Amino acid sequence: MNEDGGAPVLRAQGLRKQFGSSDTLVRAVDDVSLAVAEGETLAVMGPSGCGKSTLLHLLGGLDRPSGGELYLAGQRIDQLSERGLARLRRRAVGFVFQAFHLMDELTAVENVELPALLAGAAPRAARRRAAGLLEQVGLADRAGFLPSALSGGQRQRVAVARALANDPLVILADEPAGNLDSEATLDVLRLFDTLHTAGQTLVVVTHDSRIAATADRLITMRDGAFVDETRLTGGSGGSLGALAGLEG
Amino acid sequence: MGRTLLIGRLTARDLRRRPTQAALLLLAITAATAVLTLGLVLHGVTNHPYQQTRGATRGPDVVAQFSGPVTPGPFGPGSPPPGQVKYSPQAIAANARRVRIVASELIHAAGVTGHSGLYPVASAVAQAGRRLAAVVAEGRDQTAAAVDQPKLASGHWVSAGGIVLERTYADALRVRLGDRITLNGRPFRVVGTAVTAASVPMPNMCYSSCDYGLPFGPRGISPRHLGLAWITRAGAQALATPSDPLGYVLNLKLSDPARAQAFVNRYGHQFAQNPATSAAPSLTTWQDIRNVDGLLIRDETAVLSPGAWVASLLAIGTLAVLAGGRMSERIRRVGLLKAVGATPGLVTLALMAENLILALAAASAGLAIGRLAAPLITSPGAGLVGAPGAPSLTLPIAGLVVGVALAVAMAATLWPAIRAARTSTVSALAAPVRRPRRRAGLIRLSRHVPVPLLFGLRLVARRPRRALLSAACIAITMTGVVAVLAFHATADEKLYGGGTGITDPVMARDTQMLLVLTVVLLALSGINAVFTAWATVLDARQAAAVARALGASPEQVTAGVVAAQVLSAIPGVLAGIPLGIALFSVANSGSITTVPPAWWLVLTAFGTLLAVAALTAIPASIGARQPVAGILQSETA
Amino acid sequence: MQQEVVLAMLAKEPSHGYELRARLGEALGPLGDAMNAGQIYVTLTRLEKAGLVSVEHAAGLPDRPDRKVYALTPAGQQRVADWLAEVSWPRPDLAEFHLKLVAAAAARLADPLSIVDAQRRELLRRLRDAQRAALAEPARSDAALLLEGIVLRLQADLRWLEACERNWTTRKGRP
Repeated sequence: MNEDGGAPVLRAQGLRKQFGSSDTLVRAVDDVSLAVAEGETLAVMGPSGCGKSTLLHLLGGLDRPSGGELYLAGQRIDQLSERGLARLRRRAVGFVFQAFHLMDELTAVENVELPALLAGAAPRAARRRAAGLLEQVGLADRAGFLPSALSGGQRQRVAVARALANDPLVILADEPAGNLDSEATLDVLRLFDTLHTAGQTLVVVTHDSRIAATADRLITMRDGAFVDETRLTGGSGGSLGALAGLEG
Repeated sequence: MGRTLLIGRLTARDLRRRPTQAALLLLAITAATAVLTLGLVLHGVTNHPYQQTRGATRGPDVVAQFSGPVTPGPFGPGSPPPGQVKYSPQAIAANARRVRIVASELIHAAGVTGHSGLYPVASAVAQAGRRLAAVVAEGRDQTAAAVDQPKLASGHWVSAGGIVLERTYADALRVRLGDRITLNGRPFRVVGTAVTAASVPMPNMCYSSCDYGLPFGPRGISPRHLGLAWITRAGAQALATPSDPLGYVLNLKLSDPARAQAFVNRYGHQFAQNPATSAAPSLTTWQDIRNVDGLLIRDETAVLSPGAWVASLLAIGTLAVLAGGRMSERIRRVGLLKAVGATPGLVTLALMAENLILALAAASAGLAIGRLAAPLITSPGAGLVGAPGAPSLTLPIAGLVVGVALAVAMAATLWPAIRAARTSTVSALAAPVRRPRRRAGLIRLSRHVPVPLLFGLRLVARRPRRALLSAACIAITMTGVVAVLAFHATADEKLYGGGTGITDPVMARDTQMLLVLTVVLLALSGINAVFTAWATVLDARQAAAVARALGASPEQVTAGVVAAQVLSAIPGVLAGIPLGIALFSVANSGSITTVPPAWWLVLTAFGTLLAVAALTAIPASIGARQPVAGILQSETA
Repeated sequence: MQQEVVLAMLAKEPSHGYELRARLGEALGPLGDAMNAGQIYVTLTRLEKAGLVSVEHAAGLPDRPDRKVYALTPAGQQRVADWLAEVSWPRPDLAEFHLKLVAAAAARLADPLSIVDAQRRELLRRLRDAQRAALAEPARSDAALLLEGIVLRLQADLRWLEACERNWTTRKGRP
């Protein structure tokens, strides 16, 4: 389903991933097709074990599909070698993980500049950009802090800044608020909202309906397949006042 | 009882789960203990065979050597080199008379209970095939002597035209029974080989028997190529020439053998006081001969003990690498044990039980191997009676070896075990991974270098202690290898004796032993390097996975891990060079050490680094191709 | 509009009707905009009839609602005190939806699952609206807190709907 006026940034056709042999076959992702338009926020919801994380890993090249086709910015990527996938991750995809996966021995700004350094940017340019990104996520004053000195929400924000380091086409977030309390979740929500307003394409996998509610489009997954798709933009029918008990 | 059972079960399960690791560990400690056993056993062997020989041959307590009419000592002050002065028959006869008088004095001296001799001694150049050597040929009777009757190792005793060679000498000349050998051009047939306690066998014979005016120097024959032989009296007399007259030897038995040195002092003093008696003999005690003879074995222990040290250190290093690698698992086990009520002592024991058991098993294996290998080193070529068949594996030796094996196991695992046992139960159960260290300087530096080096530097900075351990192990390996190189550089000359084709038995055996040692060393280092590489790759797995998720290619990551290993190996390689040369100098105890040529060292250094790189690259590249998702999820589990 | 709420708003000081409206609006944020202006006056009249609120007319002005000043009577104050001490919680409305599903299944009027899905979609949209509204308010303001409460409630309801979905899916499998 494309938005009007634009090729999809990310497109999957009949994507499949299975584990195990013939009698213990597990279809983690079962014939999934989707398209993400530019600037869209897409949420994939489902109970644990439904395959949504696996799907995300496939979309970002962290794992190889067992079948199907995958296109990023029009280029076919499911057949790429490991080196090709690495290049892809360097330039076009940014990841945000549930466990943050920050380097414990690096400060916030050193963590954020890492993708740029890996892509071959000059150290000073990378440092400048990293500082700028940290400011964007509201952590300019914590640039020199180690992850152990940051709260969960702050760590995830650093991770988001890191994902933005190489100006990716799409950001893939896997249960971004999975390890966070409600306050920290709010911080991340705010950040995602900001990114969305700035036009960043975002695919989020979550079982938390609050995170899912930030999306433009919500896909529900069960047992490796899509079972539902909802467009969330366009407002609800009811009034908030009723929800609060102000009527009647 | 229950506790022992628990520990037993845990250990058995551990060993079953990781059989390869346990097997390799066993190998490492066994190699170390085998070398150690060999060294210790040989050390204790020094005395025995000589005593046996002395008993079997009715060895003398004092040996008196008389030269022909020249001052004792081949190149005494003012005396002409041998073979260049012709002596008149009168001078020779006068000398012979004086010798008989002095001999008679000695025979009737206080404390002398028996004698054999005077035997005429001819010095000559021996030629067997193309091989040239110097020989001291004693003229003997057919009948057995009362003192010093050499014991036959093969063949039969002297006969007309026949020559009996001292056993080491025969081996060195590579002659067998029935071969022909010429002395000063006169042909003789080899009829037997024998051993004696009255002289030090080749190659150290010159320590006790260089006073006959021997044909060294101009002929280019090394003093180490001097050997002993026995022929008939007639044969000896036939060999004498006006320029190379006969010398004489007299063997004495004392009432009190222990005080042989006192006897020598008394008579040496007396002869020195009377310079008119130019027939002054040179007196040697049986203890002197025994000590010099022991040099042979001592040379070998000199090679073996540093070798044993190096092997033991490497074994410790390997164990330490392994111990460090399973820290988190160990800490978790501590937490579990404590939570069910185990005391800290029991906990420590449970942690170390596996390694201790392996160490014990390895020690027994090493003892057995060392004991079996010892005769291979002591019997051939040693001019002593029989095979010291049972180089005694005494209880103290066994105890020491087992002790060392246990110490090796404990040294490597005690520190982590104590630390693990001291952590509080809660934190142990939470099992945090050891926090990587932060080295701001290195991190800053790494930003300016290409990606693989960036990765490598940061990996080293994360775990400085592991890098240090790697460097230490490489240093130990290099030390051993460089010591061997230094030996070769020093020994080339000694060994090949100027092209005479005669093998110097000690050098030959040393080289053999060194070859074995080098192979053991390289095998141990290989195991160690594999373990270290493995541990490094495992440790870097998560960081590598994250880096790859951020866009690093598998090649960059592999190169980074290899770079980390090579970076930590470089100081080890550099340190090993001077240490190796120093080790060899110590082992060589004072003799001149030749520093190996620079290109050998450079080649070895590069070879080592290349080996480290290759051994790391294989597990690293395998790991770098696995899908990132799997690694990241398993690490957070 | 609950009567006790209006009473409590008067507890601080006697106010005009428009002052009351302003205070409520501030506390409710965007939700206050949907509030019917007339509702307050209806409630105030009821309270006056019940004797909990007293009314004063501003002197010399025509009888227009704006000009009245409302204050609490002693009975009204007591009522407020009792209300503050009460711990009853606003009633959830789950029984109605649950019965809706049961009825639809029993009478084969509709597929319960599609009912659940439709309701879920609607709630998600509402959640999105509430969340956006919450984010638009300054953090820690009263309005933000209220919106946060709405969001969390919706989240809880959505979880229940997911449970309904699971439950009704397995029921389909059974005869």
